[in-house]
Formats: sequence, C-alpha cells, structure tokens
Amino acid sequence: MSKLTAQGIRKSYGKQEVLHGIDLELESGKIYGLIGRNGAGKTTLLSILTAQNPASAGTVAFEGQPVWENPSALEHLCFSRELNPLTGNNASTLKVKDYLKVAAAFFPHWDAEMAEQLVKEFGLDRKKRISKLSKGMLSMVTIVVALASKAEFTFLDEPVAGLDVVARERFYQLLVEEFSESGRTFLVSTHIIEEAADIFEEVIMVDQGHILLKENTQDLLERSYHISGHEEEVDRATEGMKVHHEEHLGRSKGVTVLLDPGQEFPKDCDVSIQKPSLQKLFVALCGEES
Amino acid sequence: MNEILTQEKSIYIQIKEMVENDILRNILLEEERVPSTNELAKLYAINPATAAKGINLLVDEGILYKKRGIGMFVAEGAKKQIMEKRKRNFYNDYVKSLMAEAGSLGITKKELVDMIERSGEGVEEHE
Repeated sequence: MSKLTAQGIRKSYGKQEVLHGIDLELESGKIYGLIGRNGAGKTTLLSILTAQNPASAGTVAFEGQPVWENPSALEHLCFSRELNPLTGNNASTLKVKDYLKVAAAFFPHWDAEMAEQLVKEFGLDRKKRISKLSKGMLSMVTIVVALASKAEFTFLDEPVAGLDVVARERFYQLLVEEFSESGRTFLVSTHIIEEAADIFEEVIMVDQGHILLKENTQDLLERSYHISGHEEEVDRATEGMKVHHEEHLGRSKGVTVLLDPGQEFPKDCDVSIQKPSLQKLFVALCGEES
Repeated sequence: MNEILTQEKSIYIQIKEMVENDILRNILLEEERVPSTNELAKLYAINPATAAKGINLLVDEGILYKKRGIGMFVAEGAKKQIMEKRKRNFYNDYVKSLMAEAGSLGITKKELVDMIERSGEGVEEHE
C-alpha cells in the first residue's frame, strides 16, 4: 500500500498565505473527492502535492521519500491541470497531438493506446490547437492525459467543468472502470458535487486554506441530518450539539447537524429529521459568511 | 437492477434493496450469479466499495453467497427469506408512519379501517 503524505503544508503568494498548515494522507486504491469554494486553495494544494509548485513550508512524501525534484517518486504522480486557452503555460499554442506527445514523454507509464482510444471516443481533433478548443474539449484533453498517464496517484482538477451532461456521465463511468481495473488512486476536484458524490470513497473538504474534514463519504452522510420545525422544538432536539447553517422563517427554524458517535436526538421532539445531500451539507459547512 | 438511484437513502442500501427487488420479481433467480460489484459500480457510476457494502449486507443475511473465484450467487430460499423479512418490517416501515400521519390529520380509527377495507378489496382477490 503506497501512501502520499503531506505535512504542515503552507503556501504564501507574496504576503498572502493561501494554505495554512495542511496535513493530509492519501492511501492507494481509493477515489477521493476534493471540494471547496472558489479560492479555497484546491489547485494550489494539488500542485504542491505533485511537486509542480514549491510549498512555503512543510513536506510532501511518497512512500516516505520527499517528492520535490525526486523523479523516482514523481513517476507515480500525475496532476492533469485545467487547461486555459488564454493564459498560462505555452501549451495553448500546441496542437492536441503534440500536447499528448509531451505528456507521453513526461509520464513513464503512458498508455498510448488508451490515449488514442479516448481521443477517438471524445471526437477530439488531433490537429487542432489547444487555444482553439472549446471548454468541453479542453476538459476532455485533461481527462485523456490523466487516464492515460497510468500514474499510481492521479489528480484531476475540475475534469468535468465545461462538459455536457452526457460527457460527464461517460467520464464518471470511465473513471470507475479504470479504477476497478487498475486500483489506481484518483483525487478529483469538482464543483458539481451532487453527481460525483457517489463515486468518492472519501471526501476532502477544503475551506479557506484549511482542511475542514476528510471522511468516508457514506459515513459522513450517515451522520449528517437536517432538523426543522418549531424553533423551540429544534432547539430542544439539538441541545448541546454543534449546529450549522441556521435558517429562520417566522417561528420555524432549520439547522444542519453532524452527529458524533453515540450521539442521538431525543425521541419525543416534534421535528422533521431529513438527510441532506453532500452538496447541501457542503453549503451548510462552508457557506457561512465569515 | 435498472432502477434509478435517488438521494433519499444511502447508496449501498439502495443497491441492496434493488437486488432484493430483482429476486422478488424473478429477475434474478435462485442459484444464479448476480452482477459483480465492478459491474454495478460501472452501471451506476458509483464507488465499487459502496456497491460491495450493499452486496456484503446480503451475504451477511444469507440471501447471497460467494463462490470463490466466480462471484456472488442467489441462495436457495432467498426469495422466501426476503418476503418474510419485509413482512416483519412492514409494521415499522409502513404502519407506523401511516398512523402518525393519520394522527396529525385527525383521522379516526374507524375511518382508517374503512379506508383499508376499501383499498384492500384488490389485495384479497390476489389471495
């Protein structure tokens, strides 16, 4: 069982610190979901985990070996960045086929056959320049690179942004298929939480440069509840519990609660107890104005 | 096995209930192989570990059994067992919530019995 471990990761851009001491351990053979609001530090975290960006403090290690400038560790990692035709890396002037050639040279376990097959399936034009691709097609290119890299730990940053619903469903299937055949580890960041929730074995929530939680998705959903009803009854039901995202409307009140082991609601309260979706839970935990 | 997953229940519970439904409806027959967790994961785009959790619950209950290296199979007597289990749960799953709703609407016991008798005519014909 390989492990990728981050300890005390801090990152500052100029005077502004965007990651405030992140500890994270990723185990092989899992699909992780990374969710967080815009600017929470997701992309920065992914680029530091894969040694594409130096941390201001802290270490990242693969199998106990630091990943920074360490080819024997890096060959097991792939970070398929979100492509942007307008800014950044000079990739945008490359043609699709040349971009894939660079990827093939960069990833030692590259599966050219798989890349070819995916390009065909997605209907990508190999002769088109990256800068001329639509948003959806840019996403497809990043997906091809991620899957064909065959890296043991593969990180996808917003792979479904810009994809239509049909393509997104197809991506989730491809991901599960590759995962169940290879046992590779995938970490996927996304804003389309609802669709992807069932794929994540574990979910990692990032909020303002901190890891808010990292937990088995099903376990997390099982202990999360939405309680609503008469304000007094809701208060009685949730007495002594940490409540999130209070909402009021007249005498009525709604709150979200994460139960700790052994905790339960009193039986005699006249309240509605419902199960929030992962997306609702995320909004309840991260949506509070700070 | 081709029902649609909803957000209302845990996914592994839904997988479990889908397999049970298929056994009740003779879509899956006793001593027949059930789809593998990877097949289920791919079909529903869910994590294979979640699919496995649902399937393993059925193994624990003796509804499915494992043939090493081949896969999961429907046990003999599985259909009868599921029916008995659901009958046992009928009071908790349906009758309790029926009574709670009837109570908050002020429906009397007599009215309720009348309603059940009216709707029950169909059930008896099937007996």
